[in-house]
Formats: sequence, structure tokens, C-alpha cells
Amino acid sequence: MKKSETRTRYLVNFLAVVLLFVISLVMSAAGGDTLKLKVVPSIWQCCYLIIMAASLNLVLGFLGQLSLGHCGFMAVGAYTAALISLAFQRAGFYEEKSGPAFLLVLLLSTLAAGVLAAVMGLLVGIPALRLKGDYLAIITLGFGMIIVNVINNLPFCGQQGLGQGSASSALYATGLGFSNDEKVQYLWVAVLMVILCMTAMLLFVRSKYGRAIRAIRDNEIAAATSGINVSYYKVLTFTISAFFAGVTGALYSCCNAALATTSFAFTNGSILNSVFIVVMVVVGGMGSMTGSVIAAVALFLLNYTIKNGAWVSALPAFLQNIFAYPMLVYSVALIVVILFRPRGIMGSREFALCDIPKWPGMIKAYFTSRFKGKEAIRHE
Amino acid sequence: MKKKLLSLLLALSLVVSLAACGSSDSTSGSSESESSDAASDTSEAASSAETEAEAEASTVEESSDSVEFAGTITLGMIGPMTGSLAVYGTHVANGVNLAIEQINAAGGVTVGGESYELAVESKDDQGDSTECLNAMNALISDGIELVIGSATSGCTSSITSVANSEGVVLITPSGTADALTTEMDYVFRTCFKDSFQGELAAQYAADEGYTKVGIVYCSADTYSAGLRDAFTAAAEELGLEIVAEESVATMTEVDYTNQFTKMVEAGAELVFVPFYYDVTGPYLVPQARSVGFDGILLGADGVDNTETTIPDGADLSVYNDFLFVNHYSTELATSDISVSFVESYEEAYGETPNNFDALGYDAVLVLTQAIESCGAFDADSVQAALADTSVVYEVSTGTFSFDDTGTPIKTGVLMGYSYTEGDDSVTKIAITTLSLD
Repeated sequence: MKKSETRTRYLVNFLAVVLLFVISLVMSAAGGDTLKLKVVPSIWQCCYLIIMAASLNLVLGFLGQLSLGHCGFMAVGAYTAALISLAFQRAGFYEEKSGPAFLLVLLLSTLAAGVLAAVMGLLVGIPALRLKGDYLAIITLGFGMIIVNVINNLPFCGQQGLGQGSASSALYATGLGFSNDEKVQYLWVAVLMVILCMTAMLLFVRSKYGRAIRAIRDNEIAAATSGINVSYYKVLTFTISAFFAGVTGALYSCCNAALATTSFAFTNGSILNSVFIVVMVVVGGMGSMTGSVIAAVALFLLNYTIKNGAWVSALPAFLQNIFAYPMLVYSVALIVVILFRPRGIMGSREFALCDIPKWPGMIKAYFTSRFKGKEAIRHE
Repeated sequence: MKKKLLSLLLALSLVVSLAACGSSDSTSGSSESESSDAASDTSEAASSAETEAEAEASTVEESSDSVEFAGTITLGMIGPMTGSLAVYGTHVANGVNLAIEQINAAGGVTVGGESYELAVESKDDQGDSTECLNAMNALISDGIELVIGSATSGCTSSITSVANSEGVVLITPSGTADALTTEMDYVFRTCFKDSFQGELAAQYAADEGYTKVGIVYCSADTYSAGLRDAFTAAAEELGLEIVAEESVATMTEVDYTNQFTKMVEAGAELVFVPFYYDVTGPYLVPQARSVGFDGILLGADGVDNTETTIPDGADLSVYNDFLFVNHYSTELATSDISVSFVESYEEAYGETPNNFDALGYDAVLVLTQAIESCGAFDADSVQAALADTSVVYEVSTGTFSFDDTGTPIKTGVLMGYSYTEGDDSVTKIAITTLSLD
């Protein structure tokens, strides 16, 4: 790729990101009921799902290790951020959820959430990443379950502490938890967080480190022979992934204002759990950051519109019965994707704005090659 | 390509058939109907009764067409209609729907001299707090100001703050966590709270003359730990000696033998077990008996419905002396409204109503009474009407008025399981009405 082309690509993407950010600012300023009650909460949820899926993609898609306890790191982040914000509030550092003091607390608690989750990732990663395949999956699965139980049993943050009732209203009234109005006001925080995290992760994947971990994924022995320190890169990636999961946790506690550990379990009723995050990565394409974004948004929209959208009620009655059981719909969606796009929606390719003009040609080429392939088979 | 389409078709047909089975089965969880033949029989009976009820309801609608409604008051309802807690949500929905049908058939709600029709918009939260919040926001954006929900404390706690900040009346039928309702705000409930249940249980133990009690609970769960705290505090006040206390890691624990061995060693005569019905039937009770504990097992409202989780072929005699504090019993309820509720429920759904049915039913009655007394159905007026602590509500689970947080001051009942040797069966019996002196 020519240098000038790379430069235009960066420029186009940068402009698109700025545009996105400006749109979020405009939305904050516009207000309105539908926006406040439906659109903005949805964007918040999309934001944390996107970072969550993309951060797992680092481990699952780029490093090639199956981690089943990713929500455990998110739980660490969520509780850390919530507790720190409450501590600051009780110390009288800020009174209202506005102004520079609060923004500083928001920044601090988010960073602390990420760092503590990263420390956890390091502690789990050092022993666990010496294992391979299924064994690593089992260890991370165990971690996810252990962390939930530890949090539950800590007197200052478990179910009794922050989870429910007045304590959750405390988080809501004075801590990080945002009301609907504040979600609109601070929409830019969520969008900025996604932009920063995604940029950081993309840069990581494109860097020398990214090439190293992809080499490890493709062939560990070959990578080791070429002088790549396999354990170091594995633990590094795992830790970075945990950091972003922790940051996501902070976003989650802003968005939900009530923390309960069931939200971070291995499986539960909603689309935020360790298994579903893996599903998002697989559907989007292992090894495609933009694929994770697309899958996270698509699955969120599927889940949200099944329950709150109008199009379900427009369907015939026997189909509506299916939509009363959302889990059935997800399974069909997953089957469709795996049947027709076995490597996920994006495969290991990335979506790029500058590639859009090339699409018609690519689609045409795809179909002609398919057609020719069939002809060839027939002749045989 | 053909193979792909074929397999897709197969998957779809499987899904459609599953959904077709599931849709008629709304009165009982699918896991239950699989677990025992008896349960599936009753659910079939229930579903056939349901279709009759629907037919009836449509005739009712036709007949009520003669009443001119001035408009419609739409209530919102949120509950776990699918997922592991689906039994709770579907039963609340049954109670709510029954109440609405009856009120509409009787001429609707009278506001300012005109009668309004009641309707309900129902949302599924799958027992998850994020889904619950989404559902609440969706209801508010549809312009609904009176919401019934959610069935569990965990979900309800995620929407109380929204209810207060958006000014929407939220009335939870079965969220028992103490902290849900605070000083006069928009959140109310029709059930009693956990600490009250714990006190009732301790009071019962003291009244029956037990002196050595034990506790097995889950420290990680709000419901269980909250009940344990209330029970312990009340027990100390009443002079009961707590001889042993053991905790398990989760509410879905499957092994309780160590805990009960300790209870036996400590000589407990009664053990307080604040758990849910999904573990008491298959694990807790049989294991307690198997290690030699033969005293009283005393649970709280979560234990109700244990009869649905007793495994096939289990030794039924172990469930004798397994008691629990409950909101309501069809046998002890003697007021006119309770009797008529039970009758009409049995007629409509072909089974005896449980807590959730009754509490959902009551939530509608309480809201209706508040609407009629203030003569308006916007959230602020209804909130003001509900906040009046002098108003007495006479509903199916008893007669009560709200305390200054929005929790009813009411009585509980003691129920239990009794084993009959003659025909080798376990029956749920209502023992007595409990109240604090």
C-alpha cells in the first residue's frame, strides 16, 4: 500500500470518528423523550458490549486462546469503579454529578477499574496461559465463577452492599450510576470511551506486538523458534484484554446504576454474560475488530427489538410465539451465520470506509467465482 | 447450498415446534413439566382450562361492550416471563390479567364519574436487571405511568431509581428486599418485606417453645442473608439460643450434608432455612433428614412450590415437619374477596392460586382503589393517594394499609408439608396465621 493511500485512509477514518463524536454531542443537546428513554440507553449498552466483544477478540481471535470468564474481569471493574466513586462522594470530593471534580472521579474510577482488572488478568494469566486449549478454558471459566462468589461474599460490595435496594439507589443517587437524563448528558463519555478503547486495541493489533501474537496463534512452535517469547506475549495480551474489560465494567456501572453479580455470570437471561460475549466474537469473526463491533451492535439490536420493537407484533401469530422465547431466536441467528459465514460475518477481514467503493466489484467477483466453480463441478 | 438450506429448514422447524409447544404452556415452567408426569398433567389441564378462560373472556368482552368506556387506562407490567424464574412472572401475569378481566367486566374503573377500561402492556425481563431497565424505559416512553413489577428483588432494585426520577408509580407484587421501598416515593409493594418474615419465623419458634435453633443460609444472597439477619435479631430478643449457624456459597448449592451434620451435633431442634424451592425439594430436605436431623425445618416464602421440585420416587416422608412462612394461604383466607378470588382463579386457570397470583391480583386492586379515590390516573395523583397511610386496602391476601415507606403492614401465614402414611403422599397444609404482637 502506498504511503499516500495510507494517509488518506487514516484521514477518512479520523474524520468519520470525529463525525461520530459530534453526532453524540448533538444528540445530547437535542434531548426529547424517545431519545432519552430508548435511543440513548441503547447506545450506552452498545458501547459497553462493543468494547467487551473487541477486548475478548484480542484473546480469542488474535491470540487464539479460549477464555470463558471474560465477564469476571468486567465484574471486577464494575465494582471497583462503583466503590471508588462512592468513596470520593462520601469524602465530600464532589456533591453533584457535574463539573470538573466529578469528571476527574469518573476518569479515576474508570482507570482504577481497568488497572485492577488488569492485575487480576495478570494473576490469572501467569499460571493459566502455561496451559493450552481446553485447560485454559476451564481455568478462565473457574475464574469467572470464583470472582462472582468472592464479590458476593465481600461485606462491602456483595449483594448486601452494592447489589440491591438502598445501596443501589446510593450508587444511583451519589455514585457513578447515571439516571436517564444524565445518560443523555454524558453520552459523549460513552462514545469517547469506545473511540479511545477501539483505537488503542486496533493500534495494538497492528503493532509489532499484534504481529507477534498472530504468529503465536498460527503456529506456536514456529513463533517460538523465530525468537518470540510466547509466554510473555500471551500474558501481555491477556492482561490488556482484562484491562479493557475492566474499563467496560466502569461503563456498565454508570449505565445500570444497580450492580448484581448475576449480570456477570457464565450464563444468564440477558445478552451480557461470558458465553454470549464469546458468541459475539465468533459471529463477528475471530480476528476482526470491526467484526466484533458489528456483531455486538447486531446482537444487541436483535435482543432489544425482540422485546421492545414494534416489528415483532407485525408478524403472524405463530411466529410471535417464537419471539416470546428470545433464546430460540439467538440460536437460529447463530445457525444462520455459521451456515453461511462459517468464519463469522467479517471473517478475519476488517471493515474500512475507503473500501466501500470497491464493494460492487468484490461482490461481482465473488459470484462469478462461485458460478464458475459450479460449472467446473458439473463438467466433471 | 441445498444442504445448507435443508439444515436451516430443519432448525427452523424445530424452533417453531418448540415455540408451539411452549406457547400453550404459559402456566408452568417447561422444566417442571418435564421433571414429573404429574406436573405435566396439571399443566395440560391448566392450558386447556386456559383456552376455556380465554373463550369466556371474549364473551365477557362482548357483553361488556354495552358499557361505554370513556377511555383506557393502561398499566405496565414487567416480570420474568421466560428464563429460570419464569414461574414467578407468569403467575404474577395470571393474577394481573384476572383482576383486569374482572374489573372490566364489572364496568371498569370509575374516574370523575366516567368509567375507564383497564388494559395491560406486559414486558419480559428474563430475570435480568439490564433487561428490566430496558423494559421500564420502554414502558415509560409508551406513556405508561403506573407499572406493576418486577417479580424479584434483584430486578426491581434496578428500576426503583428510574421510577423515582421519571415520576412513575411502581408497585412490586413480590419484591421482598427491605431496601426497595424507602421514605415516601413512587415505589410500593403488595407483599411484606424480608425482615418481617424473619421476625415472624423467630416468633413462631419462640411461641412453640423451641429454645435451641440453628440457621443454614447463603451469605452471598440478599434474600437469604436478609432473612437470616432479621431472624437472628428477633431470636436474640425472644431469648432463643442460636446453637449453630452455617452458610453455603450459592443459592443453587446441591450439598447440605455438612451443614446439617453440624446442626445435629449442636442439638438444634429447629433449623431456619431461607432458600428457594428449586433446592429445597431435591436437595436440602432429603439431605437434612439423611444425616439424622429430625426436627423442624422452617423456611420462608421462597419455599412455596417445593412440591413441584420433589424428584420422582423420592422418599416422601422426609418432607414431614417442613414448614414455611408465607404471604397467603387459600385455606386460611376467609374474607369474601379472598374466597371469590380463589374461586374465580380456579375457574379461569384450573389450579389453585399461589402467592404470585394473589399478589399480582392485589397490585391491580390497590392501584384501582387509589385511582378511584383520587379521581385521576396520572402518576402524581396516584402516588399521593397511595402515600396516604390511613387508607385501608381490603384485598385477597388480607386487609392492610401502607407504612410510611410504602410496604404493607399485614399478617403472614404458617404453612407446611405433611406426610400421610396411608397413601404415601405429601400435602401442603396451612397451619396458622402469624402476626407480631
